[in-house]
Amino acid sequence: MNADTLNAIDAVQTRNIAALDAQDMAGWLATFCTDPEASYICISAENEQRGHAIALMFDDSRARLEDRVSIVTKVWAGTYQAYRTRHFFQRLACRQAAPGRFEVMSNFSIAMTPEGGVSSLLTTGVYRDLIEVSPAGALIRQRRAVYDADALPRYVVFPF
Amino acid sequence: MHTPAHDDVRAQPLVWSDRISQVPKEVFVSEPLFEQELKTIYYGDCWHPVAHAGELPEVGDFKTFDLGRMPLLIARGKDRELRVFLNSCTHRGTQVETATCGNRPEFECPYHRWLFALEGDLVGCPGSKEFAPDFDKKNFGLKPVRTAEYLGLLFVTLGEATPPLDEWLGESMRSTLSVVLAGDGRLKLLGYQKVRYAVNWKAYNDNDGFHAPLLHTGFRLLNWQGGQGAQFMTPNGHISIEAQLKPIQSSGFLKDPSLIEFKGQNPEKGSCVVELFPVSVLVKHLDVINLRFAIARSHDVTEVHYAYFSHADDDEAMVRHRLRQSSNLLGPCGMVTMEDAAIFQRIHIGSFTPGYAEFQKGVTGGKEPSFDVKQNDETGQLPKWEYYRKLMGFKREAEA
Repeated sequence: MNADTLNAIDAVQTRNIAALDAQDMAGWLATFCTDPEASYICISAENEQRGHAIALMFDDSRARLEDRVSIVTKVWAGTYQAYRTRHFFQRLACRQAAPGRFEVMSNFSIAMTPEGGVSSLLTTGVYRDLIEVSPAGALIRQRRAVYDADALPRYVVFPF
Repeated sequence: MHTPAHDDVRAQPLVWSDRISQVPKEVFVSEPLFEQELKTIYYGDCWHPVAHAGELPEVGDFKTFDLGRMPLLIARGKDRELRVFLNSCTHRGTQVETATCGNRPEFECPYHRWLFALEGDLVGCPGSKEFAPDFDKKNFGLKPVRTAEYLGLLFVTLGEATPPLDEWLGESMRSTLSVVLAGDGRLKLLGYQKVRYAVNWKAYNDNDGFHAPLLHTGFRLLNWQGGQGAQFMTPNGHISIEAQLKPIQSSGFLKDPSLIEFKGQNPEKGSCVVELFPVSVLVKHLDVINLRFAIARSHDVTEVHYAYFSHADDDEAMVRHRLRQSSNLLGPCGMVTMEDAAIFQRIHIGSFTPGYAEFQKGVTGGKEPSFDVKQNDETGQLPKWEYYRKLMGFKREAEA
């Protein structure tokens, strides 16, 4: 694959985590394609390894992705202690799965700072993505965020 | 019988108000008190649910769990019996199994290669010809823990005088639990969500029937009205709430309302919550079957393993439905329960102030906790607090 493809893939990953760190849920949604089958699954490595399908966030359709935005911004507003995150990712592998579609694997880590508190590691993990690349740029078709923590250190509001 | 805890490790004996609706906030933040609670409650004459049979369906399946700080190893033997052992080698005390769950033909302590059968027997110990003259393998099996089951829900106790499980649960808890456990307990594991909350275990398990329509904005936005229900308590601190599920009138808020569909058979008891003393919460809401195995890690950390299940008779579509609903509704990032999780930490921080946590909704002014409590009263928690107070040996002002 050429450099333009990799640049487009890195750019959509960057937009995704930048939106999350800005707590811009509409911006996060905009990094996914508009196909009804677009999905975001956030699951523990323990469940993944044991073949258990329960996830922490299970958005298996574009409609579910849109509902997650509504829940974070409208249902939960004012009920949780504000916190900042810093996402970091590093692409590990990329292969073409079909014309215009690429399977991408990236490590991620998320630092978390509650308002009035100190920074700590929320979790690390691996993004397993299916990314669509067109002349207009790249969009995420499927994201599977597999997080390492067997027990997360706190409740979670925003996607990983 | 239960042995009241002593005050010897606390700087000052904790005296409770004469008002039964007041709980001293100090009980949520006292570190020395936690050590007494471990001895009196977690290692004392109480039953604690630690697993469901549906988590370990095959011979050799195992799960590790902690009761307070006590490491446990739960395993299904070749005779298909579930047993619980202390997860500690009977040689030098080394932790035997480190994995959270899995399947093994036997358990081996790597330190000196002591090998234990699934049934706990010591079956191998290199160099034993030179062991002490009175050494006998029969005396060195993994130390078993007393267990009992209700519809596959496996309980343990370390106490010597713990009453039979049926008596401990009581008829009303068994009745609601049977609904949670799908009537027959034939559950299949879907997976876990695990999280640590920065909260004392007593605050984690103090969620009342009053808060739901007030805290949970989602109920209003979704036009999600609760139905008629009832709250039951036992003198030994258990609480259950059973509620009817009304059909949800779509408000258009969700693009995918299928997530909150109810496909079950019994809407009259469509929402059931059982809070077992001291810390476990067992829930059936819509089509979610959720057993929350909690670990009191310290005075300020409670770890919760949310285990989710389907029923053995579910078809593929129902399993898929439970999977979507379970993942998204009632866990540490659940549409309904994230707000509860956020409250836990605020209770803990706020409890460093002097004074009392005050119960109001449903308080009638009596000298003893009432068992006549409405579905949305917060006084359902008061019999539990009275049981805890007496168990820990705390006196009220008039007695002090």
